[in-house]
Order: sequence, then C-alpha cells, then structure tokens
Amino acid sequence: MRTVLLASMRHHTRRYVAASLAVVIGVAFVVVTGVLTGATRSGLTADAGAPVAGVDHVVTMPGDREVTRLMEAAAEGGFPAMAVGYAMEPVFRDGIQLTQSADVSEVSLDPALQWQTLEDGRYPASADEALADLNRAKSSGVSIGDVVRIGSGDDAADVEVVGLVDSPSVGGASLYVPWQTLQRFDGTLWVSAVAWGGSTAAAGELAPGASVETSADWIAAQQAEISRGVDIIAILALLFVAIALFVGALVIANTFAILFAQRMRDFALLRCVGVTKRQLRRAVRLEALALGLVASTLGLLVGGALGVALVGLVGVWFDDMGGASLSPLWAGAAFAVGVLVTVGAAWLPTRAATRVAPLAALRPDTGVDVRTAAGRWRLVLALATLVGGSALLAVSVATTTVPVMLAGGALAFVGVLLLGPVLVPALVRLVGGLAGRGPVRRLATGNAVRNPRRTATTAASLLVGVTLTTAVLTGLASSRTAIDRDMDESYPLDATVTAIDAPLPADLAERVAAVDGVDDAVALDGTLASVREQSVPLVALGSQPGVVRGDRRLTTPDGVVRLSYDLVEALPRAVAERVWADRELTVVTGGRERTLRVRTGSGWGQAGIVSPATLAALDPAPQPLAVWVRAAEGTDAEDLSGDLAALAGAAGADLGGGYGNRSWVYLQVDIMTGAVVGLLAIAIVIALVGIANTLGLSVLERGRENALLRAMGLTRTQLRRSMAAEGLLLSTVATLLGTAIGIVFAWVGVQVMVGAVVDDVGITVPVWQVAAVAVTASLAGLAACVVPARKAARVTPAAGLALD
Amino acid sequence: MTTTSLQARTAASARGLTRTYGSGDNTVHALRGVDLDLPAGRFTAIMGPSGSGKSTLMHCLAGLDAATEGSVSVAGRDLAGLDDTALTLFRREHIGFVFQAFNLLPMLTAGQNILLPLELAGREVDRERYEQVVGVLGLADRLGHLPSQLSGGQQQRVAIARALVTRPDIVFADEPTGNLDSEASAEVLGHLRRSVRELGMTVVMVTHELDAAAYADDVVVIHDGAVTAHLADPSQDALVAALRGRRA
Repeated sequence: MRTVLLASMRHHTRRYVAASLAVVIGVAFVVVTGVLTGATRSGLTADAGAPVAGVDHVVTMPGDREVTRLMEAAAEGGFPAMAVGYAMEPVFRDGIQLTQSADVSEVSLDPALQWQTLEDGRYPASADEALADLNRAKSSGVSIGDVVRIGSGDDAADVEVVGLVDSPSVGGASLYVPWQTLQRFDGTLWVSAVAWGGSTAAAGELAPGASVETSADWIAAQQAEISRGVDIIAILALLFVAIALFVGALVIANTFAILFAQRMRDFALLRCVGVTKRQLRRAVRLEALALGLVASTLGLLVGGALGVALVGLVGVWFDDMGGASLSPLWAGAAFAVGVLVTVGAAWLPTRAATRVAPLAALRPDTGVDVRTAAGRWRLVLALATLVGGSALLAVSVATTTVPVMLAGGALAFVGVLLLGPVLVPALVRLVGGLAGRGPVRRLATGNAVRNPRRTATTAASLLVGVTLTTAVLTGLASSRTAIDRDMDESYPLDATVTAIDAPLPADLAERVAAVDGVDDAVALDGTLASVREQSVPLVALGSQPGVVRGDRRLTTPDGVVRLSYDLVEALPRAVAERVWADRELTVVTGGRERTLRVRTGSGWGQAGIVSPATLAALDPAPQPLAVWVRAAEGTDAEDLSGDLAALAGAAGADLGGGYGNRSWVYLQVDIMTGAVVGLLAIAIVIALVGIANTLGLSVLERGRENALLRAMGLTRTQLRRSMAAEGLLLSTVATLLGTAIGIVFAWVGVQVMVGAVVDDVGITVPVWQVAAVAVTASLAGLAACVVPARKAARVTPAAGLALD
Repeated sequence: MTTTSLQARTAASARGLTRTYGSGDNTVHALRGVDLDLPAGRFTAIMGPSGSGKSTLMHCLAGLDAATEGSVSVAGRDLAGLDDTALTLFRREHIGFVFQAFNLLPMLTAGQNILLPLELAGREVDRERYEQVVGVLGLADRLGHLPSQLSGGQQQRVAIARALVTRPDIVFADEPTGNLDSEASAEVLGHLRRSVRELGMTVVMVTHELDAAAYADDVVVIHDGAVTAHLADPSQDALVAALRGRRA
C-alpha cells in the first residue's frame, strides 16, 4: 500500500497545491500573530519598570493628600520619591496654544530617579525646567531653550525645555516637570503610585490608605497588566485566524471531495486487486496527513519570515517593538492546528470515497459522474437550523442579549451553508438568467450548477468572508451614526475662539473663515461682564447659527445665562458655590449689577450665552467676543488647531472646541474598520484560492467535454469566456448572498449592542464600502479563473478527446 | 486500388498527409504521406486495426489536429494556414461529429444537445430542419431527457442528430458503435446510412468492425499510417480480401 500511496502523492502533487496554499496561509496567519504580539509584549514590558528602578518600594493607589504628604516628607528627609502619574493640561508658547491637552508627568530632580532616556540636552535642575518627548516636540515645533506655558488661569506655569527624551508608549508622557510644578495641576493630576526611597514604616504612616509593595512586585504587576492588554489583542486576532481556518477547511474539504471523485476508478481498481476498505481509507487519510504536515511546515516558515519582516517594518514607526521571537508553544500550536484542520477537513470526503464498490472499476467508463444531490435530511436540518437561528436572533433583538445573538447568528449561518446545495444553484440560475442568454452564458450557468454540493461549498468559502466583512462595515457605520449623534451632543462646535479680557479684532471672523479647512465661521457679539473683579465674556445668541452641529439648542431665554462647567469652576469659589446651589449669577456691567438665572452645560468654550434682549439690557454697545467655527469634512485636526491657535493667540483669546476629539474618535473607528477588513481579507483570499482550485480541478474533469465542445465549434475565446463567466457567477452569487446576510446580521448586531445603550437606533449601510467589497469579491472571482481558463483553452480538441 | 466514376464532388481530400508525434528516438509516425479523396454524398468507412492511424487520419481531416506535413482540404477549403479560431469557426460551419463516447454534455437535455452547435455559432434555428432530423432519427419523444436518462443507442442517435442539424458538408463519426450492443449498433448504423440516402449528407466513419463497414458505400483501408485500399461498394469478400491481403 505504501507504493500506491507514494506514487499517488507524486502523481497528484500539483492538484494539492491550492489546498496546501489554504493551510499555509492559515498557519502563517497564526505564526505572524504570535510573532507580532510577542514582539509587542516584550517591547512594551521592557520599559514598564523604569520609573521605579531607582527605589526599593512603591506606594500604590495613594489619595491626593497622601501623595502630597509623601512627596513633602521625602523632600524634608532628603530621600528619593517620585509620583507616577500624569496631568492633562493645555500647552502654550508665546501665548499661542500648541495643544489643547498634553500629558505631563514628573521628572525627578534626584538623579537616582531620572529614568527617562535623554536624547538631547540635560535633565532639569530646578522647578522651572522641563523635559519634552522627542516626537511630540518635533510635531509641535518645540526645541530646547523654548519656554512653554503649561495649564491655564492661575495654575499656569512657565517652564523652559532643557532636554528631549524618548518616551515609552506605556508610562511615558509628552512633558516632564519637577514635582513642585506638577503639583500645581491638581485639577487634572492623577497619581497611581509613588516611587518611594524612604522606609516602609514612614510610608505606612504618611499614607494609611495606600499599600506599600516592593518595586519588583509592582513591576511584575505592571507587566502582567500590559500582557493582559496584549493578550486581548492576540485573542481578537486569533478570532480572525479561526475564521480564516474555517474557510481553509471548506477549501480543503472541497479539494479532497473533488480529487477523490476524480480518482474513484483508481480506488475501485485497488479494491478489485484486493485492497480492503480499511487499507484504502488509511491510505487516503495518510495522504491528507502528509499534506497537512508539509503545508503546516511551509506555513511555519512563511509565517516566521513574514513575522520578522513585519516586526522590522513596524519598528520603523513604533520604537517600542521588541525583538521578533516565537514561543515554541505557539509554533507547536500553529503547526498542530494546521495538521488537524487538514486531516479533519479530509475526514468526510475520505469516508465517501472509500465506500466505492470494486465493481465500479469494471463498468464502462462513462465519464466521471460526480453529480451530488442534496439529501432530504440535509434539507430538513438546514431549514431547522435556519429557522432556529432566526428565532434566536429575534429573541436577542427583543432582549438585547449578546450571547443569544452570537448563538443565533452562528446557527442561522450554518443553516444557510447547509441549504447551500439548493440555494446556491438556484441563485446561480437566476443570476445567470438575468445576465442574458448567449451560449457561453448558458454553458457557464450549466457548468456552475451541475454539482450542487461542490458549487455550494465553493460559494460558502467566499460567503463567510463577504458576510462578515459586510456585517462589520455596516455595523461600524451604524455605530458611527450613533456616535455622530453623541458627538454632536457633546461637541456641538468644532472650534471656538473666545475673548478673555479684551474684545476680539473686528476682522477676526473673516480671517478665521479664510483658514484652510474652515467651512464656516460666525462672529458673536457680547459684553465683558465682571464677576468679583473677574472678567466673564457673555455673548448673545439670537438664533441657532449654522456652525452648530446636531440639534442641540444653545440659545437661551431672556434673563438666563448658559455657562460651561469649566467657566463656573474658574469663578471665585463663593460665586461658583452660589451658582451650583441657587443657579444664579450676579454680573456687573457698566457699573450696574444684574442677577441672571444659570443653566450649565459644555461645548461652547469659555463664554456665557445670553439672549440678544438680555445682552441689550446689559450693554448697549456690544463688541465681538467670540468666533464659532465649523470645520470642513476631512480637515486635519492638528493643522486646523495650529492655524486657529495662531490667530487666537495673537488676539489674546482662548481656543476651544471639539474637533480634535471628534477626529480622534473617528480615527479610532477608521482604524478598527481597517484592521477588521484587513484581517477578514485573509479569509477572502483563501476563499478565492478555493474558487480557482474548484475551477482548476473541474477543468481536468471536463477535459473531454471541453474537447467535444471545441470540436463542435466553441472557439478558444468562448471557452475562456465561459470559464470566466462560471467563476464570476459563483463569486457574484456568494457576494450577493453574503452582502444580504451581512446587512441583516449588522442590523441585528446594532439593535442588540447599540440598541442596549441608545434608543431608536437605525441601520446605516455604507453603500460605497459595501459596494467596494462586493465588486472586489466578484472581480476577484473572475481573476481566480484566469489560470484555469487558460489551461482549459490550451488543450487542442484532438488531445482533449484522447484524454481518459 | 479502385475508384468510382460516380464521384461528382470531393467533400474532403488529403495530399501527402503526414503526422508524427514526439521527436528523436520517440518519434511515432501515425500517418505516412496519405493521399485520399472522399466523395460527397457517400457513406465512407475508414477501416484498420488498432494503432493503424485511422483516428489520427480522421482528426486531421476534421481539423481537430494539425498535419505535420502535406495538406488537407475540406469543402474546397485548404485547412493549412488557418489559426485555431478560424479552424474552430470552419468546423462549426462545415463539419459535424459523432464520437464513440462522451458525445453529449451531461447537463443539457437531448434537445439542447442537438441545438448546441447552432447556439455556439449564434445561428438561427431552422425549425423545419430540426423537426426533420429529429423525425428521421426517431427522437421526438426523447428531447426533454438528460443524457443519463437515455440508452447508449439513443445517446448516439442524439449525437447524430446534432451532427446533422447544421447541414454540414461532411460528418465524421469516430467508432460510433464502439460502446453499443449489436442491436443498437445496427440501429445507429442504419440511421447514418439513412442520413446519406435521405438527407444527402456525406458521412465518414472510422471503425474496426467489419459489420459496421458493411453499411458503408465506400471503404478506405489503412494500415501503419498508409492507405492500402479505397474500395467503392465492395462486396463482403472483396473487403475481407482487402483487409486480409494486407495482413498476410
């Protein structure tokens, strides 16, 4: 039997190429995931302990007052201590805002705790000196010697940048200032731990609410935390690996089913000469095993090479990438999964193949009749799963439970796959009929549906990828609509320029409107009222201006002032308390006092909003005090903010607005969309390999038939075209079905996941994206036929007729 | 070699037709300089033992295979110099085929199989001709069946109908009865002869069966790639003598 096995493997090597390709891609995918996450993990964890490397203990989770006490005690006692945490503050240079919010951490004045990697300059020697992150400094145009102002209002501190450092992405910050300066930003400061050089007893006394642990323990905990984060990403990636492998299994199962059907006579002949059923089954399973072993080995090699290359590539932009390495466990698991998927996928076809009767070899050769039919039990099972899955989906929508939705989705999809042998040929006939009647199309349609199960499996492999991609794209687009509404609510204005203590120049609105990326700008008139000697700009809003996003009303009734939370917080404490308690604010304009009722909110910058009538009563001669801006779609947030900051700074005004946040959130959604589509693309590629494979193997099978057609007058071009039409039909049907199911799944997903949080969620189909996926998948199906079609057309009729 | 004086036109002819396969030591000479004229309106059988080159001869005459040397002309057209597409279009217009097996496309019904050549050529279906051919071959009640639902003899009749429906200048049949029992064989051969007599077709049949050749008007005997006899209306004895004479 060994001779037969080896000879048959040699003989059929070429036919196994596509199936092995599916396994190679799947295994390589696992390996690349392992290499990338390994490198990310080692890179990120490498620096985790740096801030506390110089001390023996760490005080974790201290309260605000405890931090202050600890830091003071250390200063008095002359031993090292450093706060691990950050404050989020705006940064200005020469009155111009560089960023709305930068993370500021501590740099110790004690050399023992100066953990940052200095790239240029020196460490700070006093409270008014600072370190800046190299990359952030570069993007904001800050260099050594620049004096920047951190924070706003009374807490603002001017510091000179004396050194540039390379910040790690975990535990790093944009700016580092000594504790004396950092503690001024108590409004936004959050300290998670204090690196402690003193005695543990003293720490316990000073911070009874905190816990003291050794630096080693703390570092281990930090690294574990980072690892967990990386693990979550790895698990998410493995989910896509599983999808790709599932598609791969479909392709492999189909390949074996086709190959075995073609070799039925060989099998029967073997049975005739005395090979038992068991021996035959063993032989073909050994073939599958050999294929799995070879393909998985190749997958390991390809994945390893690709992983190393990717780690190198990512390292160009992302400094914190560690070295590429692969744990033996991960490699072993990838290999085992590849072999198991191959052998598992070959299992069923093997059973069917070895059931052949020895007599089959003796029957006259009437051609390979590989017609397979959908069994009745299969149909019943398919309908049952489909109905059951749909019912579960309906339940999940009604109860917004995610696990039920996942179970229902999986069940319904399996139902569709089981129904494939009936559904797919019917759709192929329908689509083929719509395309027109010519002989080439008739031939293509006929060929595409003659083996329903094979056609269905081929379509199913592509269906998986298209369904998931469409569902994810539509789901994200729908969530994005919900996010949009939420964003409009939170950030009604893209940018605001608000006067602080002097009116704005009259032409500022015009100059703002002329800035690149500004869609519209409107100037608001108002008066600079004073509250306990503090200047508060009040602007009048008659009707909702067009620059405001969403439906949120910003206008106010007469006698009411709309104040932002920030503005209230910046008022003298007694006034602020009265605002919170009585909802009243007394302002002085033109020497007269007036009390206004207060509404609070946020999103319109540092000015109070009043009605035009109220303003007229306060000040008969209002002046421009604010410019509200709406950004054009797709404007770069950094550029816009830089340009507006320059104008605002020159006018002595404050810059606010939500465009930066909005862009950041959209960027996250875009990155997520890109990542998911990119990962699913691998499953689609495997499916296309499957289509090419099915067509390629069918060509071998139809050699005589094609020769007959050619003899009767089918030209080479017509033959190629009919093959192309067949591939296109298959991919189009899979794509149409996948798009439809994907949109349904997305609707359910949005109802269940977003509907649980937001009322009245609709579905937004990203028409262009979905269309792009559909067109790409269909055309790729066409591309998959190029090689098989050429091969089929090359055979001369005489040679084809001589084929056995 | 006897030739008939009745021949008015030549449906197909070969001059110095040579076909070799492979090269060097492995060269196989399938045909060695065949000169042959096949008369129109006759039922000619090409006979010879296995490996004599009769199938290669038919493939070359039908434009399915290219000659290594020499020329072939069919319906007055020299096939040399035609590229693959031109050759395909020529076959479509002028030549009909009946093969031993794999004659019909399994996913098309008998009727669709018969009309396939017309469809491939994008030609209008001549209903009258279709009905006539279907009638002569007795297929009227079988048109909606798939090939798998037909007997071997019925399948070959469908193949003949398909070859005739386009009114080709010449029909080539390659061992059309090779897979059939004697009763079905007789039926198929009878139909081929009727298509010559009643529909005025030209049929060239390759066979190695003496019984099959008996249905033909003329018999061409081929041996080792060369034509050894071309007999018009041979008697059984003359035919046996021609075949045996060579073997002796």
